[in-house]
Amino acid sequence: MDQNFTVAAKADSLTRQRLDAAIAQVNEVLVGKNQPIRMAFACLLAGGHLLVEDVPGVGKTTLAHALATTLGLSFRRIQFTSDLLPTDIVGVSVFDRDSGAFRFQQGPIFAQLLLADEINRATPKTQSALLEAMAEGQVTVDGASRALPEPFFVVATQNPLDMAGTYPLPDSQLDRFMLRISLDYPDADAERRLLTGEDRSAMLERMAARLSGPDIMTLRRQARAVTASPALLDYVQALVTASRKHPDIRTGLSPRAGLALLACARAWALLGDRNYTLPEDVQAVFVAIAGHRLIPARNLARDTLAQALLETVAVE
Amino acid sequence: MKAPRIPTGTHGPASGLAPLPFTLLCATVLCVLAAHAPHMPVWYTTVLAAIVAARWWQRRRQRGRVSAWLRVALLVAVPAAVVAVYGTPFGREPGAAIVCGLLAVKLLESERPRDARMAVGFACFILMSALLFDQALAFTIIVGLMLLPALATLRALEPGLPESGWLPAFRTGAVLLGASLPAALLGFLLIPRLATPLWGAPGNGVARTGMTDRMAPGDLHSLLTDNAVAMRIGFDGAPPPENQRYFRGMVLWSFDGRAWVPGAAARRPWPPVPVGVHDPLTHYDVTLLPSHRHWMFALDVPVDAPEDAVMGPDHTLSSSKPIDQTLHYRVASATDYQLAPERLDPRIRAAALELPAGFDPGAHALAERWRTAAGGDDAAIVRDALALFRDGDFVYDLDAPPLDRNSVDDFLFNTKTGFCEHYASAFTFLMRAAGIPARVVVGYQGGYWNAFAHYLLIRQSDAHAWSEVWLAGRGWVRVDPTAAVSRIILADTGGAAGDVGGGNRSWWMPWQNRLDVINRWWGQTVVGFDALSQGRLFRPFGVEHATAQMLGIGLAIAVFLTLGFGALLASLRPHHKPRDALATAQQRLQHRLARIGIVRGTAEGPRDFFSRSVAALPDSASTLRTLSTEYLVLRYACAEPPPEQTRAFARRVRNFHPRHVLK
Repeated sequence: MDQNFTVAAKADSLTRQRLDAAIAQVNEVLVGKNQPIRMAFACLLAGGHLLVEDVPGVGKTTLAHALATTLGLSFRRIQFTSDLLPTDIVGVSVFDRDSGAFRFQQGPIFAQLLLADEINRATPKTQSALLEAMAEGQVTVDGASRALPEPFFVVATQNPLDMAGTYPLPDSQLDRFMLRISLDYPDADAERRLLTGEDRSAMLERMAARLSGPDIMTLRRQARAVTASPALLDYVQALVTASRKHPDIRTGLSPRAGLALLACARAWALLGDRNYTLPEDVQAVFVAIAGHRLIPARNLARDTLAQALLETVAVE
Repeated sequence: MKAPRIPTGTHGPASGLAPLPFTLLCATVLCVLAAHAPHMPVWYTTVLAAIVAARWWQRRRQRGRVSAWLRVALLVAVPAAVVAVYGTPFGREPGAAIVCGLLAVKLLESERPRDARMAVGFACFILMSALLFDQALAFTIIVGLMLLPALATLRALEPGLPESGWLPAFRTGAVLLGASLPAALLGFLLIPRLATPLWGAPGNGVARTGMTDRMAPGDLHSLLTDNAVAMRIGFDGAPPPENQRYFRGMVLWSFDGRAWVPGAAARRPWPPVPVGVHDPLTHYDVTLLPSHRHWMFALDVPVDAPEDAVMGPDHTLSSSKPIDQTLHYRVASATDYQLAPERLDPRIRAAALELPAGFDPGAHALAERWRTAAGGDDAAIVRDALALFRDGDFVYDLDAPPLDRNSVDDFLFNTKTGFCEHYASAFTFLMRAAGIPARVVVGYQGGYWNAFAHYLLIRQSDAHAWSEVWLAGRGWVRVDPTAAVSRIILADTGGAAGDVGGGNRSWWMPWQNRLDVINRWWGQTVVGFDALSQGRLFRPFGVEHATAQMLGIGLAIAVFLTLGFGALLASLRPHHKPRDALATAQQRLQHRLARIGIVRGTAEGPRDFFSRSVAALPDSASTLRTLSTEYLVLRYACAEPPPEQTRAFARRVRNFHPRHVLK
């Protein structure tokens, strides 16, 4: 290839190797989940937050744990319940008798990777405390803003079937999650390997960090630098416009969704070791990005609508 | 999380027949059956439609095959059934019924796209053959529209088109149908044709509607409720007044107590009766639709016979051949006339007085009383009879009750309900019983005068029967006893009873009459476009009679011009304009690949498309990989594709000639 076309923002080979090793390691724990794991990494590199929607027991928490360990990030987990209060997440100012002043006691949110388990079990007030932090990258307590550590990556889970006593996230809040994925049951082969293989928790304990916070920040920078040509931007715009004009869709994709789509497609290209984005990258992440953002006009499955959009919008 | 499935254009080697084309094929076959249904037995059509429906259902439920035994059994049963119904496998109707049956059976073995294509071709041919039975404009349009599902099937069978589904299939079908019209018109005008139309092939003598040469009470009923067009007449000058629009068909001389028939008298070679003419003659052109009988109709009374026809002594016209095609002829008639006013040939007088013995004593008695009262005044007896119909509580009603053995007595004294043939029959009987020579005339009366297109439209429902009596000094005089009846019961049978001057017409009849202009134009211009008219086609260019060669040359020129015009239109059309040289080159590449069956889906990503092409064309894999990398980098890794590399890519595409046949 000509010199002109060579890489501008290719991940330097060391970081690149570590990224591949990290993905491989998570793949070892979660057998046969290559695609969702790549999605999770794309979400991380694109600087978004991840919503995992699935029935219990398919490995949502294992995924979060494996990611935290592999990425070398500080990890906290919050089990959301209906009596959880915002301060239980963010932290609280307590009076320090020694200094005679209020001292801020950091909540679990001050972590680099936060697992918000069963996010839909908490009240909307508590949910919004978390979502605000996700959007701003900081929390404000007693008038003082406190920056969250970088990188800050939230993996939230919810169970789509067991809806009793839950507060489903409103559409506006769903928009704050860049990607929504589901893990699904493993296929027969993966299930057998799961049954015969080592205990997952033992594997998790043995795992070593493959990346670090600074690595991730570098990779994020590199993802942002991946080329998106005019032709690709045309395609992204066409998809977003089509979602707004589709007769079966009441509310289409927001500009934020368009940005997320582009960022995620770039990250996907980076994962594919490419420094330019292809329509295939956009297509790969589109359903995960648009599925939870499209509001259907009729009683239609959102993922089906996203799929339909993908099948009708022309690619150059 | 499943990886999003990106639609791909090609579905690889064509294996099974997909549900959509199969459903469309079934619809096509049903259309064919519907087009032929008018001449096939109802049960036969129903069974065939049921076979199609059952096959559709069977294939929908599971992709099983129909057992060979069943197919063979049906293959034998279809011709057997046709022979059982028609008595022969030959001829128009049996032939059409057999091919319809075979088409339905063909569906049972259609499992591959190839079968479906053959079935569509077969269906189109059979559909066209439906025009051998009926060439009316509406039917022709319907048959044309029935090509839509056939074309849609072909479109749905096409592998690897980006869009699929009902709508694109029918849309393409409609576009194809519309685009074929100019070519069809050229072919119609310029392909040298036979001197006789194909549909002149004789039928099988199946029962036809139209007049018969027998008139018994109730016989005309089916005719009077039939709105089919019988003939159209264009007059040279003004049309005759409404009360003179009697069109003479045949004269019935002989009564057997129940029915009137022409009888032996009509066939005797009597000397012709000259017509005494007072007014200027009325000249007119008649277009008589096929009746499959010999007689021709003329305004009362024609003065001489047109070509290829003879005039009987009772002034009826008949053709030497059965009228199996639309017949045009020109006649002159006298509306104010005298027929044999001085003297009636004794043989004719005898025939015109003959009555069967032992029937209708009541009518005989009544006639005797009139004769006694009137003495020698025949005209008074005629007046008495008309007065009886006018004042005797007689009712005009198409729904006449059946009559017993003494039909005239039963009608005159008992039921008093009937239509033209009852009145004509009873009146003629009374006249003969009173010793006045009389005969029944059958023909049409009235009609719809189309002032816009200047012609008279006669429908079968305008059929009529009236009487003629011979009065000394006045000759044969037309008497219409039906006109004397004052009470009319309107039948709910469409436009029946031209009989009484249009007393009974439904609301849409006037519209039908007006729209008949279109049918007339269609019949004259399109159906009637024969070798002769074709020969006159080039008259504006100074060619008196065009030969087949000239037509061929004309056709070639016209086809050339049409294609050129089409190409011009296509080039003017703003189709997907490629955004730059790179896109142009890529389109060329995609076009070349599409020609060998690798079609890119609308929403298929470029890299996916290239990998699919590489997999499909192992021989060209390395070239395709190079092209793929170049294109993807030029298009997606640069803001602006560098011209140098773009040209190199375009060159490589030009030199790339993929060859591959899909297995």
